[in-house]
Amino acid sequence: MNQRLAMVIDSAKCIDCKACQAACKQANHVSRGAWRNWIKEAAPVVENGKLARGHFQPGACMHCDEPSCLAACPTGATFKSADGSVGIDPKLCIGCGNCIAACPYGARFRDPVRRKADKCDYCPQRRAAGLAPACVDTCPTKARVFGDINDPDSAAAKLLAANQGRVVRIVAKGRDTKPNMYYIASTAPEGWAVKPVDPLSFNALTQVVAPLVRYAVGLSGLGVLVMLGRQLMAGQKPKASHHAGPDTTSDPEAESRQGTANKPETADKEDGHDAR
Amino acid sequence: MTPANAEIKRHAPSDIRIHWFNAACWLLLLVTGLGLIKNEKLNPLGAWLPDALRGLFGGGSAGGAVLLTIHEIIGVAWLLGFAAYLAVNGGGARFFLAEIFSVRPGDLSWLARKMARMTVGVGKELPPQGYYNMGQKAFAQASVAGGAAIAVSGIILLLSDKLFPASLAWLVGWAVTLHYLAVGLVFAGLLVHIYMAAISPEEKPGFRSMFTGSVPADYARHHHYLWVKGLEEEGQGGK
Repeated sequence: MNQRLAMVIDSAKCIDCKACQAACKQANHVSRGAWRNWIKEAAPVVENGKLARGHFQPGACMHCDEPSCLAACPTGATFKSADGSVGIDPKLCIGCGNCIAACPYGARFRDPVRRKADKCDYCPQRRAAGLAPACVDTCPTKARVFGDINDPDSAAAKLLAANQGRVVRIVAKGRDTKPNMYYIASTAPEGWAVKPVDPLSFNALTQVVAPLVRYAVGLSGLGVLVMLGRQLMAGQKPKASHHAGPDTTSDPEAESRQGTANKPETADKEDGHDAR
Repeated sequence: MTPANAEIKRHAPSDIRIHWFNAACWLLLLVTGLGLIKNEKLNPLGAWLPDALRGLFGGGSAGGAVLLTIHEIIGVAWLLGFAAYLAVNGGGARFFLAEIFSVRPGDLSWLARKMARMTVGVGKELPPQGYYNMGQKAFAQASVAGGAAIAVSGIILLLSDKLFPASLAWLVGWAVTLHYLAVGLVFAGLLVHIYMAAISPEEKPGFRSMFTGSVPADYARHHHYLWVKGLEEEGQGGK
């Protein structure tokens, strides 16, 4: 069975220490001013006679199974790997920004230095060395758990199994992109994911320009085929009547003059003279 | 009057060179460009095409990245080639632009009648044409306007990750749309251009002139009557 890398998060354990954010920036050399992961905060509601409780919610790219960012990428620079992760090849990214608007979680940004899309990639360099992603490794309360949830022996799969029926996901408005980030029991804040939208330029491309080009090329191709068909049919006649050898190319000028004399185009030859 | 078997000069060597240089660049840019589009909502001919082209360079997004680099290098070479042409033969370029954008009375009915003749096989007499006929003018206009749009949008795409801040990413998105539109429409015209110039028998001398630079006088008189008449009047005026 394919791998399915995912993050299982017990957000009740998060103490908002930001160690995951710092470790991510350090491990991935994320440019100044940009962050690949976050901790969101539900402010405590203070009421008389009740305990006021806030809640922190660690997050990052949710490596969705139906990624709206991938659907908005014109070049395939954003791709879904066999391990279930969603990656970006910066060498193929042209920095158009489509994926950034298309992500309902705001997980993507255009790197201010590299000028390409960037986001969490589950630290492939650390995984290759047998380590967990930096944010997971560094978390002092182990709120973040990472692993292959298709492997029943992984910590992430075990945690999911132990909390069957008590797992929530943050789902985008209007479209479930099937995120692979699972929160144990409950989490807050909720409902912050926005609707995935393609930029107007990309909608214009897919809905207007691409069909227009298809029709234009189709019409033109059809016209050429019709003309070619008429040419081939007209070409049969002189061949049949004169049986003068191969009528191709040895003297293109003479051939063309002879050719025009046998075809309706003769009329337009005379037109040229008659018109003046 | 020019003898029927004489050859009339039609294209300067630099015109011929830029034509074939452009043709080669466009072919390579079209092929590599098709390999760069990979999106279920777009793939003009299906995902197999970008997959196959990327496969030539190692496959996957890494193969696509090689295609992108090749596309960018050829694109810049194309722009430099045109700059060199303009430096060498600016007068020729001005003559070309003046000719293709001057639509004379009768040109549009020439185009409609010619299209009817070539496809359905019926149509009235054709009005005489100048240096270019209206079909050639229409494709040349599309190539010039489309080429400019392709160049401008291509430069934006090239500079996207070198100069543009995130706040201008929208411009890059529109450059993608414009690039696709311009290439698509010019390609539609290109199919007819290639057929008329290289496959249709009646334009064979015109095709040959794109190698030799000259056309037979009787062909020129037949296809470009107003041009030949103008040349003759010029010659007489000179004497």
